[in-house]
Amino acid sequence: MTPSAVGAPVSRVDGHAKVTGAATYAAEFEAPRLVHAVMVSSTIGLGRVTGIDTRAARAQQGVLEILSHLNAPELPYRDFRTSIDPPVGERLHVLQDNRVRFFGQPIAVVIAETLETARHAAGLVEVTYAAEQPSTELATSRARPLVPAGEQGNYSRGDVDAALRTAHRVVDRKYRMVRESHNPMEPHATVARWEGDTLTLWDKTQWVQSTAPQIAAVFGLPKSAVRVISPYVGGAFGSALRAWPHVTLAAMAARHVGRPVKLVLTRKQMFSGTGYRAAVDQRIALASDRNGRLTGLVHEARAETSRYEQHQDAVLELARVLYSVPNVRASYRLIPLDVPTPTFARGPGRTPAAFAIESALDELAYELRMDPIELRLRNEPARDESTGRPFSTRRLRECFSVGAQKFGWERRNPRVRSTRDGHWLIGTGVATACYHTLRGAARALARIDADGSATVSSATSDMGPGTYTSMSQVASDGLGVAMSKVRFRLGDSHLPLAPSHGGSQTMASVGSAVQDACDKLREAAIALAVADPQSPLHGADPQQVRVRGGRLFLRSAPHRGETYERLLRRQRRTHLEASGTYTPGEEVDRYSSYAYGAVFAEVAVDESLGLVRVRRLLSAFDAGRIISPKLAHSQAIGGMVGGIGMALLEHSVTDHRDGRLVNAGMADYLVPVNADVPEVDALYLNGEDKTADPIGVKGLGEVTIVGVAPAIANAVHHATGRRVQNLPITLESVL
Amino acid sequence: MHPFSFTRARTIDAALAAGARGGRYLAGGTTLVDLMRETVERPSSVVDINDLPLHEISSTSSGLRIGALARMSDVGAHPAVRTRYPAIAQALELSASAQLRNAASIGGNLMQRTRCTYFRDVSASCNKREPGTGCAALHGHNRTHAILGTSEACVAAHPSDLAVALLALDAVIHLRSRAGARSVPVANFLLRPGTTPEREHDIRPGELITAVDVPAAAHTRTSGYLKVRDRQSYEFALTSAAVALHIEEDVIRSARVAVGGVATVPWRLPAVEHRLLGARPSRQLWVDAAAKAADGARSLRHNAFKAELLRRTVARQLGTVGGRK
Repeated sequence: MTPSAVGAPVSRVDGHAKVTGAATYAAEFEAPRLVHAVMVSSTIGLGRVTGIDTRAARAQQGVLEILSHLNAPELPYRDFRTSIDPPVGERLHVLQDNRVRFFGQPIAVVIAETLETARHAAGLVEVTYAAEQPSTELATSRARPLVPAGEQGNYSRGDVDAALRTAHRVVDRKYRMVRESHNPMEPHATVARWEGDTLTLWDKTQWVQSTAPQIAAVFGLPKSAVRVISPYVGGAFGSALRAWPHVTLAAMAARHVGRPVKLVLTRKQMFSGTGYRAAVDQRIALASDRNGRLTGLVHEARAETSRYEQHQDAVLELARVLYSVPNVRASYRLIPLDVPTPTFARGPGRTPAAFAIESALDELAYELRMDPIELRLRNEPARDESTGRPFSTRRLRECFSVGAQKFGWERRNPRVRSTRDGHWLIGTGVATACYHTLRGAARALARIDADGSATVSSATSDMGPGTYTSMSQVASDGLGVAMSKVRFRLGDSHLPLAPSHGGSQTMASVGSAVQDACDKLREAAIALAVADPQSPLHGADPQQVRVRGGRLFLRSAPHRGETYERLLRRQRRTHLEASGTYTPGEEVDRYSSYAYGAVFAEVAVDESLGLVRVRRLLSAFDAGRIISPKLAHSQAIGGMVGGIGMALLEHSVTDHRDGRLVNAGMADYLVPVNADVPEVDALYLNGEDKTADPIGVKGLGEVTIVGVAPAIANAVHHATGRRVQNLPITLESVL
Repeated sequence: MHPFSFTRARTIDAALAAGARGGRYLAGGTTLVDLMRETVERPSSVVDINDLPLHEISSTSSGLRIGALARMSDVGAHPAVRTRYPAIAQALELSASAQLRNAASIGGNLMQRTRCTYFRDVSASCNKREPGTGCAALHGHNRTHAILGTSEACVAAHPSDLAVALLALDAVIHLRSRAGARSVPVANFLLRPGTTPEREHDIRPGELITAVDVPAAAHTRTSGYLKVRDRQSYEFALTSAAVALHIEEDVIRSARVAVGGVATVPWRLPAVEHRLLGARPSRQLWVDAAAKAADGARSLRHNAFKAELLRRTVARQLGTVGGRK
């Protein structure tokens, strides 16, 4: 019997194409007569453009056009909003007026025959401004805080003030996290080509079916007029969920010069042009009884947003559901600043919340002289206390027990500063990770051709987690054909419906649709065979027919059977196809579904020199069924490395005098390098959650970064006795 | 990047002729090309000097000679450098990344320009890039900037690790131009900003670095380099220390201490050396001597931590090289 493809540690099906350069990324698409566009970005943080002198730039041979608010076409910018767009506000209307709203805003675009000419000419554009003083600092802003609607902005249950008054212990602390940039390896890029009134965009995007209607709305075109193609995405972490202004600029430029245009952002332009993880200040107050049962939780958060849009993260979700607490009060406020709009970044909302809550819990554990894992276990809820709904599955206890065993937690001396290794103080810490199981409506098309090969498609994306591979695994099992015979297609807005490739919802949603399509196609083929007098399966009970290795056969008599290929040829069909769907049903409202993790960190701290180095990182995940173990593991350790960056290094630094980002490049914005990433490992609880979705997964990508930073910060405390409440944990903060 | 002409020099004479006409020398290109892309550097003419016979590394009883075009990785891997001048090998291996070390030359390393991000951002004011425009870093974000050797005009830190080790070991730089050859100690070659931060080197128009000499001395074998930085690799120093000690019969006979990451040029610490000379090695001595490491420091808004970190860095490295940790 052919082993199941799902659950097998297969390698990336597109790995060869990627490492040989055969995979085509957005910036690599070519078209006849293609020309290049380069953006000119504002060098003030607020004010007006008073003049643009393009004479020197236009004098360069090969410059075709320079567009700015002075000569750019007026665009309709029809209303358009998806779940990714901020619920309040309006996207930046690019080159539509002379206002500068943030430092690095696109204010002109140079179109030239070559990239070199366009870049050089862009540097020759002379812009004059009437500058105003921008306000870009969250901590000192006096702007009136904005209140997100509903439970996103305010939540309460019980009487938390009374709980704080009567508590045995209260921990009340403030936490600060700086702005981070996604910094995927691949730059954002768009190639735009018009044919009459229809537009094709080759774009870096996590959601082709949002980019297409969004750009159609911007240009006032029917949705069908825009097609978006994005077969490969070299990392995104949320930065490619929205269509940013440069996508509009590429399309505008292409239409203006009547030729295809390629626009690639520089690394520096990505810092202000593709969103970021908002800086957030938080306060947590925990009240507990003498047994470590939480009696109250206050969670207050203030995050930056732009003046023109109110980006919101689900910062308060963990306060509502993670632990059993009778009295909770939570509030989330947005502070409008003269900055570009932030966006979702891996583990949005829950990651900063977990840093604050899990740090405070660790502190409470020390005050109670209780093991930090024990404290968490004592506050395990029996159901979702914010809704009263049962959990579809919640195996956080097992995460802690298998994680603790593998990590060797029981060998830990809980006393701070108790372990030394030469100049290094050694410490260990834990934290909980949790992320909502998001699901969205999806469709997939499965097809078997007469040569026995299978093609399955859906308009999803593969920004790195291995969608091509994992969907091929699902299809391989569903159709009963070998992995090598399956081709999965994605990244084209003309393909069947898919939700955004974000929020860890792709496998739950698209995977369920792929499974449905393949089930239907397999059943249709079986129905054909058993009805066909010439088939060896003629007259068989369809329920008794199995398909393996592309061959349909009778379960009780495996020699009776035939291949898809033979069946289709005899039937004189070029192919068979079936459409599958997934629609989130009542289970979404009846059950509370989350992925969980227990994160363990070991750090070494050289107090004298201020060095903090992670020595070990281990997470144990309850993420439902693991479809593609090898790629899931790659996904997990990648998210955990992102957590190391958040804990120790990453910080987009703004010079608040003029709103300039001072480290907008990979030499100065530090992410972990190999030397910073020691032993990182992850475990996955066996099982599945078929209540959450038909394919039984709970999502993995997001939850892997949640909880890493507090586990590291808690380990630093264990090593040194010092509580670090601001991220990143810089050298000077432990000196 | 601004348009420029590109030529390749086959002989030293040809290179010097091109240099005399205003050509900028290109070796590894790891600094110049980056800065040209950002339009910080706008040479009209670039001369590739990689074909010149300046790659040799040789070690004799009188000292070490490193050709200006020797690659950082080759120098760091050279057996004589590793055994007789370990501070140089360590400084090189802690620099940049393996890829950059394979490309970057020794001469280019000494000519590399500051990592001050305002210097590298042509939309910011910078006296080094455009004299007279002001220093954005002075009251800007200056966590990585210098606390020693600064002026009102410039507070940019010197980025080279190698230069710190060379300074400690009294290296001399050999230069040639069509006017002839001359030699300058590293200590005099790199210039403090003063009121002319745009002048970074004692180098004349058209002059080419041909070699670096490091004199042999008893202390070079017992030398080492410590680099303290935010991440463990591929990052510039917040503080660093090159230490060389010759200890005989439990007495320090010679001491060389230079530090990096903290000053506008690699910074020698004569007061620390003086305290060490003739003393008996001890843990207390390292701390006492290092106490003088940050004398004269003037910290900025975000880098006040560097003075204490520097003292600790020096003390640690004295212990590592001199023992009695």
